[in-house]
Amino acid sequence: MKSLVSIREGGLASWALRLVAAAFVIGLVFWVPTSAGAGLISTAIEALTLMSAAMALNLILGYTGQISIGHSAFLGIGAYTTGIFVSRWGFSPWLTFPIAFLIAFVVGVIVSFPASRIKGVYLALVTLALGLVFPQLLTWKKLSWLTGGGAGLPNKDSQLQTTGFNIGRKEGQMLHFEIFGWDPFGDLRRPDNKAAFWYWIAAGVAVIVYLVCRGVVKSRVGRSMVAIRDNETAAAVMGVNLVKTKAMVFGLSAGLCALPGCVVAIKIGSVSPEGITSLTVKGAITFLIVMVIGGAGSLWGPIIGAALYVFVTEKTGEWANDDAIPALIRPLFAWAKVPPGDGIFAVLLILLMFVAPRGIVGVWNQYSSRIVRVLPRPAGAVGPAPMATAAMFTVTDSEGEHE
Amino acid sequence: MALFFQRLVDGMSYGSVYALIALGLVIVYRGTGHLNFAQGEMALFCAYFVYQFGEWRIPVWPAMFLGMGVGFLLGSATEVALVRPISKRSPFAVFIVTIGLFTFLNWLDGAIWGNQQLPNSGVGSKQLSYPSLFPNDPQDQWLPFGVSIRYERVGILVLVLVLTGLLFLLFNKTKFGLSMRAVASNAESAKLAGIRTNRVLMMSWGLAAAIGALGGVVQAGLNGNVNLGLMFTVFIYGSAAATLGGFDSPGGAVIGGLMIGVIENLASGYLPKWVGQEMKLGVAFVVILAVLLVKPSGLFGTAKVERV
Repeated sequence: MKSLVSIREGGLASWALRLVAAAFVIGLVFWVPTSAGAGLISTAIEALTLMSAAMALNLILGYTGQISIGHSAFLGIGAYTTGIFVSRWGFSPWLTFPIAFLIAFVVGVIVSFPASRIKGVYLALVTLALGLVFPQLLTWKKLSWLTGGGAGLPNKDSQLQTTGFNIGRKEGQMLHFEIFGWDPFGDLRRPDNKAAFWYWIAAGVAVIVYLVCRGVVKSRVGRSMVAIRDNETAAAVMGVNLVKTKAMVFGLSAGLCALPGCVVAIKIGSVSPEGITSLTVKGAITFLIVMVIGGAGSLWGPIIGAALYVFVTEKTGEWANDDAIPALIRPLFAWAKVPPGDGIFAVLLILLMFVAPRGIVGVWNQYSSRIVRVLPRPAGAVGPAPMATAAMFTVTDSEGEHE
Repeated sequence: MALFFQRLVDGMSYGSVYALIALGLVIVYRGTGHLNFAQGEMALFCAYFVYQFGEWRIPVWPAMFLGMGVGFLLGSATEVALVRPISKRSPFAVFIVTIGLFTFLNWLDGAIWGNQQLPNSGVGSKQLSYPSLFPNDPQDQWLPFGVSIRYERVGILVLVLVLTGLLFLLFNKTKFGLSMRAVASNAESAKLAGIRTNRVLMMSWGLAAAIGALGGVVQAGLNGNVNLGLMFTVFIYGSAAATLGGFDSPGGAVIGGLMIGVIENLASGYLPKWVGQEMKLGVAFVVILAVLLVKPSGLFGTAKVERV
């Protein structure tokens, strides 16, 4: 394939490209809370939590090839850890992030042991069952002393009447968020300031999840994961410890998936099986859909997929009411009694499987190299490690089949 | 003892629905080796159709056969248009397509019929409750030894057993059944022997969806209404049944379905504190996990020998 421009990886031009891409992303992240309205900030928080969960799922599904339709359970563990520790025992919400990570990590490792014997669609079946059982487990009578049953938390027994930050003017309540005397958000009782505060928590979680995924994928463990995905037997022969690697990746994926759960609990201020859609199996299917549409097995795939999903479902959210549909496409959607978001993405998912199984990122990799082609550094050359954005421009063999 | 007997009959009638979903899963799995995650949603789609036929004053039995016809068309169209072309790529791609179909069908049900439960006088339903295949008024029951045995429950059980018998005849006594078994055991050789494998696979998917459709109608009838979440749990019970019976054994699927129904009903009846209504699904989860870990081929399936 000929391309218009060829540049070398690590050269001046490739660094310039990376800088432009990084500046664009960082600019977008800073633009949303400062210039956008509360509605868009709230949508952005939703997108950030969804992309964190999808990135976590990508580790186990996109890179290691182990199908999971039960990641909603791990997100739920995160949400309930924050809910229980904050409202029952008065912990600081900040502390619940590492606690949730650890709990979900342990659960993930436990799940991985049967999973290392169960393969392919059977694993999908078991995880689907797990995803369906989890909300039932929350309403279980034997656990309601902890989870608050079907009504959720906080309830009349809890110490605090919120599962997030206890914002208010009373003694012991929080009014400002200060970092060494710097108060970036102002009075947190104002909805705009509160939304910006949550936005930065969600953004922080997304960045941490991204950096961890990136670190793991580019390491020795990451190469073992891809080896397991492509051919388990061959990987074992090459000296990859299957059980240990799967246990680690499952644990890590589960732990990371719990973090956006904490964000959801903080933002909503209460947890219940019905109140948080993403802890039901519908949530797990959404993680899967956005990850595959964006591009399974690529670092930016889940991010792009999640942003697109939240953007489209938000834009079409009112379309059950026919007058909200733009006149041009009204005949196409007016018959439907529910918003078309899920239908659009289901069709898009099936279509992409036919024409571009590597998702949007795969299409981008295929066509961007016709214009700008970054020649990879020769093997063994010394130099700084490639940066994140480079992954978007590197030429990959997109014809190969990876599952 | 009377209570035990009643729970047994109730469990078997719920198990009949699981058996129907499991039968659909098994027929598809035998033919193409794929697990159809959209099986439950296909059944739900047909169950909505039967509601619609009821609104048009079509009696329930013809409506049921029409619904099964819709299922047959949906299943065979899915095989021809989606599964056959994509299965050349990878099993993972087929899995994703069935998940896509799952989401799409659930959305489509909501788009056409709305997300409230039906029949619903609020949207002008003419029917009072979802059409039931058997008499289900409160007095329609036998009362031997103080046990309440409802006609509906027994009727469903008999219906499933008759259907199983017919399927047995179809698989074992007809030319089509022979070619289905040939395709299941070795598709390449079957093709060389002159069997139109494509047509057999299309018919298998259609048959599976039609049987599932019956399951959907029966489940909606037992439930009294049809709603968007009706088949999520039923699908899991059905897959638990198929796992327990063995994914390549139709007889196993029926026995597995009845067993799952009985197990969950007895467990929730006798352990109200530990299982109750909330953790019935937990029973199915434990069964799936235990069978896959201990005996992955199930009770009646053939163990697959894999060369590493």
